[in-house]
Amino acid sequence: MLLAQITDLHIKPRGRLAYRKVDTAQCLETAVQALLDLPQVPDAVLVTGDLVDAGRPEEYGLLREILSPIRLPLFLMPGNHDARGPLRAGFPDHRYLGTDGPIHYAIEEFPLRLLALDSLIDGQGGGRLGAAQLDWLDRRLAEQPDRPTVVAVHHPPFATGIGHMDKVGLEDAAGLATVIGRHGRVERVLSGHLHRAIQTRFAGTLASTAPSTAHSVALDIRAGAPSAFSLEPPGFQLHWYEPSAGLVSHTAAIGDWAGPFPFFENGILID
Amino acid sequence: MTVPIRLDACAKHYGATRVLEPLDLDITAGETVVLLGPSGCGKTTTLRLIAGLEVPDPGGRVRFGPRDVTDLPIERRNVGMVFQSYALFPNMSVAQNIGYGLKIRGVATAERRRRVGDMLDMMRIAELQDRAIGQLSGGQRQRVALARAIAVKPDVLLLDEPLTALDAKLRESLRVEIDSLLRGLGITTVYVTHDQAEAMALGDRIVVMSKGRIAQIGSPRDIWFAPADRFVAEFIGTTSPLPGEIAGGILTVAGATLPWAAGDGPVDVVVRPDAATLVGDGAGPGRLTATVRAAQFLGDRTRLAVTVAGDHLLTIDIGARETPAPGTTVTLALHPAALIVLARR
Repeated sequence: MLLAQITDLHIKPRGRLAYRKVDTAQCLETAVQALLDLPQVPDAVLVTGDLVDAGRPEEYGLLREILSPIRLPLFLMPGNHDARGPLRAGFPDHRYLGTDGPIHYAIEEFPLRLLALDSLIDGQGGGRLGAAQLDWLDRRLAEQPDRPTVVAVHHPPFATGIGHMDKVGLEDAAGLATVIGRHGRVERVLSGHLHRAIQTRFAGTLASTAPSTAHSVALDIRAGAPSAFSLEPPGFQLHWYEPSAGLVSHTAAIGDWAGPFPFFENGILID
Repeated sequence: MTVPIRLDACAKHYGATRVLEPLDLDITAGETVVLLGPSGCGKTTTLRLIAGLEVPDPGGRVRFGPRDVTDLPIERRNVGMVFQSYALFPNMSVAQNIGYGLKIRGVATAERRRRVGDMLDMMRIAELQDRAIGQLSGGQRQRVALARAIAVKPDVLLLDEPLTALDAKLRESLRVEIDSLLRGLGITTVYVTHDQAEAMALGDRIVVMSKGRIAQIGSPRDIWFAPADRFVAEFIGTTSPLPGEIAGGILTVAGATLPWAAGDGPVDVVVRPDAATLVGDGAGPGRLTATVRAAQFLGDRTRLAVTVAGDHLLTIDIGARETPAPGTTVTLALHPAALIVLARR
């Protein structure tokens, strides 16, 4: 199966730029088109938070409009820029979002099981899962100990070295590590928040962040790195799962790149 | 191909909490079994064990026919499932939703299209095929969810409270539809609900569950007319049992006395709404005095809430044209054939 992960869309009301620079709506339209143009259609699309920039109802309205060409199973998660109420109100037919409390859910339809968590703390940049949600995760993982599973949470549960982002990290990352360390078949912990592709070993599995469909957090690995962004090529990730291959993750750069060109001509490598 | 299901000693713990006692259950091929009980009774856990969404504690086995599926995940069990929480993919059309399970199983496009067409016809929703899920009514959505579950030709169909979110009138009409659909399909079906009327209408057999164990297995008639214990009687019926006493071949309950051929001792007497009638004459066997608390006109009958023997509440159905006023005292006659008498443990 092929799971597409897009993240940190930061949709603003129509016509407004994010941080006076980024047309995030236009970026998402391009990203959606890139997803739809893939030679292999994904089996599902997961959006790992920061769906909109300020949690406003009209932002969710625009988000809905831009996502509408995606005629695939689509799963939304909140990030620190989201607001649960307006998110639920904007997507009332997404019943897995529930009606109150944190937006966590289990998707059982696919060969790869998906457990989505909610790390949003209202009004804060940092994230927290809380004891109740960690307990929920522990129970879900115990249900199907042998099932290959992906756990998704907006805030990555690890320090990235980018100082200003690590200050708004996941508060109870250690608690998440304890729970995940207890269960053997978590293939990946998928996150966003960092607007870059980053990986590390985590609790016996691999934790990673995907690039944003819009701007990037500047690549500055210093404790005192200033909070800044750059306009690198945006991207998304494709997580390909085959029982024999395990979970393999690819990062795609979104853009109008030349190619593909053939390597071979008449069976001979082009010199 | 439809298969029998067999659960052997399937228990389930979460940490120190046992949510399911070791449970044995045989389901015949093609049968519809309804798991019925209050929340926390273990019915959903049982369904999830059958689906492959949970594994039983060590020692428990799940078999589909000769095949031991205990260690197989859901996608390798060939089950069709209707989930309560997220039945459909909202951003896909009706036809795309129905075809989705086929697509993920790698069924070729032409075959997929044919199968989706069959499903649309069978559920009589062909005109909705291009609609978005958000444009559908609750009942239409449930039809689509069922079509999607059945499209993959599952060995086993699993339904987790599919009608819970719908209003009463719609539930009743969909119940009838699901019933005739299941009978036509002949797929082994496990249906979870907390609604006894739904269970009665749909089940070939009902498994009543309480506190992680099976309280009774039987046909709807068995469960209604011969509940195994007070829990089943109370859960299935509309009123609480009355305390009674048998002594010397006489049953005494709420002031009424009836000849009763059973051993002496305390009993619980279950009075279904049809087990008593309003009478004018206080003399005779099975007569008791009741105070009318409320009278609800239901069109074809009047449903009375009465108190007897102090504060015990009973629900009694009487003729539609009878209208005793709340607060009045009436005489009821109990029908011995319709009473359920359970020895008190």
